[in-house]
Amino acid sequence: MTFHRKTYLTSIAYQGTISESDLIAGLKAKRQPALDYLYDHYSSALYGVISRIIRNQDVAEEVLQDAFLRIWNRIDNYDASKGRLFTWMLNIARNLAIDKTRSKEISKDRKTDDIEELVSKIDRKEQSELSIDTIGLKEVLERLPAEQRFVVEYLYLKGYTQSELAEEFNIPLGTVKTRLRMAMMDLRNELKVNS
Amino acid sequence: MDVREYISSGILESYALGELTEAERLEVERNLAQYPELRKELTAIEETMEVFFMEAGKKPGAGVKEKILASVKPKTKVISIDIWKYATAASLIIAFTSVYMAYSFWNNWKKSEASLTELRALNEQVARDYNQVNQRLDAIENEMQIVASPAFERVMMKGTDKAPSAMASVYWNRNSEEVYLSIQNLKTIAQDQQYQLWAMVDGKPMDLGVFDGPATGTGLTGVHKMNSAPANATAFAITVEPRGGKPSPTMETMQVLGNT
Repeated sequence: MTFHRKTYLTSIAYQGTISESDLIAGLKAKRQPALDYLYDHYSSALYGVISRIIRNQDVAEEVLQDAFLRIWNRIDNYDASKGRLFTWMLNIARNLAIDKTRSKEISKDRKTDDIEELVSKIDRKEQSELSIDTIGLKEVLERLPAEQRFVVEYLYLKGYTQSELAEEFNIPLGTVKTRLRMAMMDLRNELKVNS
Repeated sequence: MDVREYISSGILESYALGELTEAERLEVERNLAQYPELRKELTAIEETMEVFFMEAGKKPGAGVKEKILASVKPKTKVISIDIWKYATAASLIIAFTSVYMAYSFWNNWKKSEASLTELRALNEQVARDYNQVNQRLDAIENEMQIVASPAFERVMMKGTDKAPSAMASVYWNRNSEEVYLSIQNLKTIAQDQQYQLWAMVDGKPMDLGVFDGPATGTGLTGVHKMNSAPANATAFAITVEPRGGKPSPTMETMQVLGNT
């Protein structure tokens, strides 16, 4: 099984048929084809983030819809000097999903399960999904040192905030940050992102 | 600031995850603007995250896209406001254009009307000129026929002592007795006077008709049919007479005379 990173890197560099600045201009002008393009290119990445935080498919899809609406409505707030479009969208989706887990409907779900139990449940499901959907990424993660893989999985895949992770697993916040830093250096090499 | 150390702290990763406090975030943004190395590093982190999350993506269920696209359709109200804005702008443009065009057309119409009047006048003038020329041509053709015809003999009438420079001639067909007059030079005469042509037949003057002098505007040019003169006419002469002519010539006013 080979990891198809090359194909993906091409699409990062060229963004398919339109450049990121053209896409942003299209979104700011409220052109629906721009949103269409945005959905086709980014819905999977954003839904991946959301659905690993929210297990219920209907709720996760609802959050995805909210995320796109927020992106559409607040695109004028996006400032390219502060970061890439994807980062901005990722944080919108991630924050909406995290907020949802704190809302009543999900809290109820959480109450019925013991937190630890829920996490292990997610772990089991996550492992099986990872092996099906993103087998290439799983290989990359497995090559990381265990402590780095742990922070990446909890922060990026399970939707933990850095302070939640520090608190729950009793790791100093600074350590969480430096471990993520080291993991990102390794991932950059593994995913062949050269910038 | 030690940029390497700053990067190593992992603060840029936290920034990219949106997990900094407001104060920390603003500080990072200030530093990003100041240190290109930081900017470059952040971009690398963001690109790595993008590749990572793209790879970790999961397709949402079918129908989600349609829901999203349907929910972002601008509300009817907004559309109608926009439509009215555009409609108002469009009507103003149309109104101004119409006023301008109406004025411009009215102006052009006025101009056209003036030119039409001018053209009509010109056309009438041309028609009049054409008629005159045509009449002249008819006369000249007629004259040519007569002058060229061997049946006509030309009788030159020379100026008398009273009018030495006067000159006229008749073309006379002895068989048909037709007489045509051609004037070479006759003086202008008063409005109440006319020239009268005579033929001497059997020693007596015979009236061949009257005609206007040259300055009256209807002066004769070309050749003109006069009354007939019998084959035994011996001379032709022109006198000045009161308008309408006289039964017998006033010998004192005789201008030209010529024998056959």
